[in-house]
Amino acid sequence: MSASSTAPGGAPELDALLDIARQVVAIATSLGAEEALAGVGRSVSTELTRRDGRIEKAEESRSLGLRASLMVDGRFSAHATSDLRPDALREFLERAVQATRYLEPDPHRRLPDRHLMGDADIAALDAWDPGFAGQDGPIRRALVQDLEQATRAHAADLAVRSVSSFAWDGRSERASVASNGWESAWRSTSFGGGVTLSLEDEGGRLPESWSMSSARHRADVLGVEPIAAEAVRLGRNRLGSGPAASGRYPMLVESKLVGRVLGVLLGPMQGEALYEKRSCLEGRLGQRIASPRLTLVDDPLIPRAAGSSPHDGDGLPSRRRVLVQDGVLQEFLIDVYNGRRLGQPPTGGDTGNLVVAPGTSSPERLLAGLPRAIRVEGFLGGNTNATTGDFSFGVHGVRYEGGVPVQHVSEMNISGNLFELLERYADAADDVWTGSAWRTPSLLFDDIQFSGS
Amino acid sequence: MSIPRPQGPPGAWFDQRFGVGPELLRRVMQAALHSGADDCDLYFEHAASTSVSLSDHKVNAASTRVDLGMGVRVVVGDQVGFAFTEELTAEAMIAAARTAAEIAAHGGQREVTGPVAVRISDWTPVTHPWDRVDMETRVAMVRGWEQRAFQRDPRVARVETHLADAAKVVMIVRPDGRLVEDWRPMTQGYVLTTAVDGDLRESSSYNVAGRAGLEYYDEGRQARLVDQAVDRTVFLLRAGKPPAGEMPVVLAAGPSAILLHEAIGHGMEADFNRKGTSIYASRMGQRIASEHVTIVDDGTIPGSRGAVNVDDEGNPGQRTTLVEGGVLRSYMHDEISARHYGVAPTGSGRRQGFRHAPLPRMRATVMEPGPHDPAEIIASVKRGIYCQTFSNGQVHIGGGDFAFYMKTGFLIEDGKLTMPIKDVNVIGNGPEALERIDMVGNDTVIDEGGWTCGKDGQGVPVSQGMPTVRVGRLNVGGVG
Repeated sequence: MSASSTAPGGAPELDALLDIARQVVAIATSLGAEEALAGVGRSVSTELTRRDGRIEKAEESRSLGLRASLMVDGRFSAHATSDLRPDALREFLERAVQATRYLEPDPHRRLPDRHLMGDADIAALDAWDPGFAGQDGPIRRALVQDLEQATRAHAADLAVRSVSSFAWDGRSERASVASNGWESAWRSTSFGGGVTLSLEDEGGRLPESWSMSSARHRADVLGVEPIAAEAVRLGRNRLGSGPAASGRYPMLVESKLVGRVLGVLLGPMQGEALYEKRSCLEGRLGQRIASPRLTLVDDPLIPRAAGSSPHDGDGLPSRRRVLVQDGVLQEFLIDVYNGRRLGQPPTGGDTGNLVVAPGTSSPERLLAGLPRAIRVEGFLGGNTNATTGDFSFGVHGVRYEGGVPVQHVSEMNISGNLFELLERYADAADDVWTGSAWRTPSLLFDDIQFSGS
Repeated sequence: MSIPRPQGPPGAWFDQRFGVGPELLRRVMQAALHSGADDCDLYFEHAASTSVSLSDHKVNAASTRVDLGMGVRVVVGDQVGFAFTEELTAEAMIAAARTAAEIAAHGGQREVTGPVAVRISDWTPVTHPWDRVDMETRVAMVRGWEQRAFQRDPRVARVETHLADAAKVVMIVRPDGRLVEDWRPMTQGYVLTTAVDGDLRESSSYNVAGRAGLEYYDEGRQARLVDQAVDRTVFLLRAGKPPAGEMPVVLAAGPSAILLHEAIGHGMEADFNRKGTSIYASRMGQRIASEHVTIVDDGTIPGSRGAVNVDDEGNPGQRTTLVEGGVLRSYMHDEISARHYGVAPTGSGRRQGFRHAPLPRMRATVMEPGPHDPAEIIASVKRGIYCQTFSNGQVHIGGGDFAFYMKTGFLIEDGKLTMPIKDVNVIGNGPEALERIDMVGNDTVIDEGGWTCGKDGQGVPVSQGMPTVRVGRLNVGGVG
């Protein structure tokens, strides 16, 4: 089992991974497991970093690993190894089966019914760029050089301390086999580039900003110019920053950061949180939990999107679903195990791409309609209490008055409760970000508590 | 599944099990240096871990993990080429070495000597290693923790417990002939409880972690693990939000060292300074804190999570004084930064594992005791907050702004702890916060929690310690 091939991935490569997964299931069942689910993944990626005019780091990763879930005498365990030598693998599985026998039975730990398992249309996901060659050294070198030059050009009027640019490409292949006969194999490519900018500021401060773009297909990666311009815009907004006065402000969260805010919802939606009584959303299904303006969709089937996949971790086929419709909670994230514990059919415990539909105004136009507001351009620290919905995050960004930027702010916190936050959701801008699994526009919230000076 | 302490001479573990002997090491090293380079390292790792979990009254899940592989790093000046393989065959390792060497097309020629085993100190005194602990013992432990949690407070409604242990053998080989082999055990116990009181419901957890075997879990530690988890959870039931804004903050001894880690520690990692992007880049030898403040980063605290017998470049674990009496004395160095600054490495070159190249990292970052009585520190604050426990933190290295998330604490009014408070982000600027530490307690405590530090996508185990301190002003993310 070699991880040394660099040929573009094809069916033979996926077949080789499927063969390993089948062997693992066969060995595990021969050792006494009544059920087994094996996943084998292989990935190759290369990243190049350039700093201040010269290459700083070239890194190549080639990984091959196994994950296996076993059900032995009604007991459950999960295992992983990167030592796939046949003798070592057999010994590993022997020990894994043996260790499982010491546990207590758990009748809910079983594979899903075979008829529930399957794949969405893998070809339609378009996750593999046929142009991937795995030997794109010149492209990476040109990209990091162009990114640095473009960033320096945009920052020509600023005191630049350092510019670091990076580019990567990679591929990964995954195969899954369950002892009930379900099998799946698919592959994807990934490309990206970005830049980190360090600027000199008053008081010896050296604020940093960054911008990047990644995509499944090379053609979908943003160009050098928008990446560089964004890094410099964000860097400029960090200069001379400090806390604004404490108080309640409308808050515009930039599109790339929306996941940090709306992501607060996902923890308490999980089946495990519900079963373990750690969810502030328990009993709220079908109830209004947010402003009627908010609709949040989970769509793992968007072609070429970062969060798309043919099936979830249980082997259930991916499907589009509405999580919040017009402010009403429509669906929890219930995986197979917790569905059985809760006595409910599974809805799928994983999310793919989380989508909020865009509005019709630019972020600037939304801000122009407000006497004052804070535009959040970055988070710092913070956390959420999924049991109560309380949250508190550090933020930095720009304070606006009448649509005009008047102060670069930092060292501020926002605090509150999830339900208050969602109730105060007001509007969406038109600037959907497609570079991550959160595909949303910038969002505007009314009347958020900021603490500052 | 666990890896026993190697009994053979250094190098024997990978030679006997995987056929990686002196001759093969020389060939891989020659491949890494074939186009010339200043330096390189080969890092081999064989790791295994086991965990056992209880939820819903049942010990119903276990997991095991084995990790095997090697990474090759080739260095020319401050330029790094890196590759790894999970297959320890001559063909795969030499291919990885040649890939890493591609960056070194213009490096100088370097002779390969050795390998010769190097003896190292041992800061991981394990008397009862996990490879000799059976599954029944692990199962009984997590069961016992659950029972104690339910007995501790009638409001406890749910309990989850978790015991993990891991050990790895690493071997580091350098072109100057050094061969270092190290055995690195680790364990963590974790208890999560949910308490219900009328309509109120809260969850919280506590964990203990160290480089230790079963002997770590003496009666006192097991009791504290459970009692702290329960007490922190029921505390939340009566806690509220502090007011918002800037105010004096008193940090309790122990876990408050997250402030040290985020606000100060990262900025003293030499890579950020070498690149000129740390706010401390030009402050060496200058006063950066009050004379009460002395900070060390120490890899030699026996059994601590951040203890390193040897760092991941093969340099001995040691104690580094970062700030002495308020004056910046040293950064934390890996070999690249040590060469850049013309100083000796500080044994701070660490990596998550063979899939990553080493970077300057913290080990156990500790503020030494100061002159003040903790009670006097609390009594000195007219209106502020007392931060007791924490969950996480973050820092912007260059700008210096940092944050940490306080899980539990108290309001301070007229020098007394009054209302319990919870769930608030506290934010400040690192150098300013350090300057504003105006009282330092005489009660330094090394926190026993399982902190993991993340940097450049790599997590490494760290420890931290702190006395009670007063910070004149920080921004508290409260309400109103």
